Amino acid sequence: MSQRVRETLTRVVIIQVVTLVLLWLLQQRYAG
Amino acid sequence: MHWINWLIVAAYLTWVVGDGIRRSRGAKDIEAYFMANRSLPWWAVGLSVMATQLSAITLIGTTGQGATDGLKFVQFYFGLPVAMVILGVTLVPFLHGAKVYTAYEYLERRFDAKTRSLTSLLFLLSRGMSCGAIISAPAVVLSAIFGWSLTACVALIGVPTVAYTVVGGVAAVTWADVKQMFVITFAVLAMVFVLVLRMPVPLDDALAVAGAAGRMQVFDFSLSLENQYTFWSGLIGGTFLMLSYFGTDQSQVQRYLTAKSVDEARSSLLMSAYWKIPLQALILLLGVLVFLYYTFQPAPLYFNPTHDAAVRAGAPATYDSLAVRYTAVTEARREAAQAAAAARAAGAAAGAAAALDAYRAQEREAGVVRAVALAEAGKVVSGPTRDVNYIIPRFVLDHLPLGFAGVFLAAVLAAAMSSIAAELNSLSTATVVDFYKRHARTDGDDAHYLRVSKWATALWGAFACVVATYAASLGSLIEVVNRFGSYFYGSILGVFLLAMIPRARAVGAFGGLIAGMATVGVISWQVPTIAFLWHNVTGAVTVVAVGLLLSLALGGPPAREPAKG
Repeated sequence: MSQRVRETLTRVVIIQVVTLVLLWLLQQRYAG
Repeated sequence: MHWINWLIVAAYLTWVVGDGIRRSRGAKDIEAYFMANRSLPWWAVGLSVMATQLSAITLIGTTGQGATDGLKFVQFYFGLPVAMVILGVTLVPFLHGAKVYTAYEYLERRFDAKTRSLTSLLFLLSRGMSCGAIISAPAVVLSAIFGWSLTACVALIGVPTVAYTVVGGVAAVTWADVKQMFVITFAVLAMVFVLVLRMPVPLDDALAVAGAAGRMQVFDFSLSLENQYTFWSGLIGGTFLMLSYFGTDQSQVQRYLTAKSVDEARSSLLMSAYWKIPLQALILLLGVLVFLYYTFQPAPLYFNPTHDAAVRAGAPATYDSLAVRYTAVTEARREAAQAAAAARAAGAAAGAAAALDAYRAQEREAGVVRAVALAEAGKVVSGPTRDVNYIIPRFVLDHLPLGFAGVFLAAVLAAAMSSIAAELNSLSTATVVDFYKRHARTDGDDAHYLRVSKWATALWGAFACVVATYAASLGSLIEVVNRFGSYFYGSILGVFLLAMIPRARAVGAFGGLIAGMATVGVISWQVPTIAFLWHNVTGAVTVVAVGLLLSLALGGPPAREPAKG
């Protein structure tokens, strides 16, 4: 696995976690 | 529409088609025409993968879905990043390493010719019809909004797409997809920006109103098999669906087969993985903002002008009564929303809660009136209304500043054209490589196969346009084919999973494929309430289980292509 693939994979994990946390916070704040 | 909007649309079409035709130079054989000599950079392939999946109905229908149901549809995509990572370490090295033109070609090397032909034929049947549906859905909306004939709208979408796909091949398709993704993203961001600026109350208070209407609910952790979109159906069923779509559907496989290397192909899929959920959430949020816009501004009873006119003419008394009721209830809803926003701004928690309760009651009542109105429209036009698809186009044309309608129409065309072009290109590849070159004429030269490939692309384009033009009368047929597609999608994935198991044999692959499709067919017929995402899991698991059992019981010659590519 090349350096670029490893970097892209890291970005995938970070962006998914950040997106899911943001969606979760949006739901907690507004959908109560 | 203002001439400046048309100028924007014309500039977009000229840019895409002109560049596509310019890229036709150099394609001397089918390796260049279908695979771009496996030379494309990962980021262009990644954008092409995303553009292919994002069709016009995503832009029109999903934003409308955001307006009516809120953000929960985003759960459908939760399996996508997981699937992309799995594909990156499993199927991508197999398919790219085997230097095949089609995913199904690999199945002949691994199993036998009949497994290849059956899977390729299933792809041609389902994608051929779905390509027509992809043209027809936005064409029907444009036809109703602008009052043009359906044939003219199909031609506006279909003719330029077929032109650059026939002439330029996969290189033109990919570079057009890159431009189209930029146009789509720009249009969505610009609309979100304008809506936020135009919100009559602070965004925080507006989103609280959307939350009270149920539009900000994202996660549903229930274990129900019958709810279409839950966290679990999205994560598990969605992973299998995305594995099938990105791993075995030629319209997607062909995108990353054009990448320079296995690593570039992996990177392209992973790029799509990290953008998809944020982009889809943004598209749904755009729908929620449009819902809020119509909460604070008068909302039409019907967003589809044709249906509005049909009910007005066909049932005038009912129309007048519904319109009066709807105006009264949406006015009360607006007052309650403004009261809630004012109370929140003043820090009066109890007042805000009471106003939001009043708002919820009015929102429910507005929903009841709309449901009655849509049922009435359904009776008058004798068919489904699909009013949700008209929310965003009506909003753009009626309320956005000059130029935005042109950008939005260019984005709708971009979304439609990128999906259609990739499908036409892949339909032509499967037709020529899996059937014509394999069975009809095996000894042609490069020039002959290139000529046949261009003709095949043009014929599939013409077929898709004809299907799109007659989609209304073919409605039930298209639905049957789409349903049929959901029966075998997971099963085809199962065959590719079997291909990676060394002990699997041809007899197991073919028998497993039939068993998988039959099982999903029986379950779907006997228990129709099960959400369709679960069919992908059932199909894939059945094929692998039955395929392995048959392989172990009956055996057969080992594969010509080893299980590791």
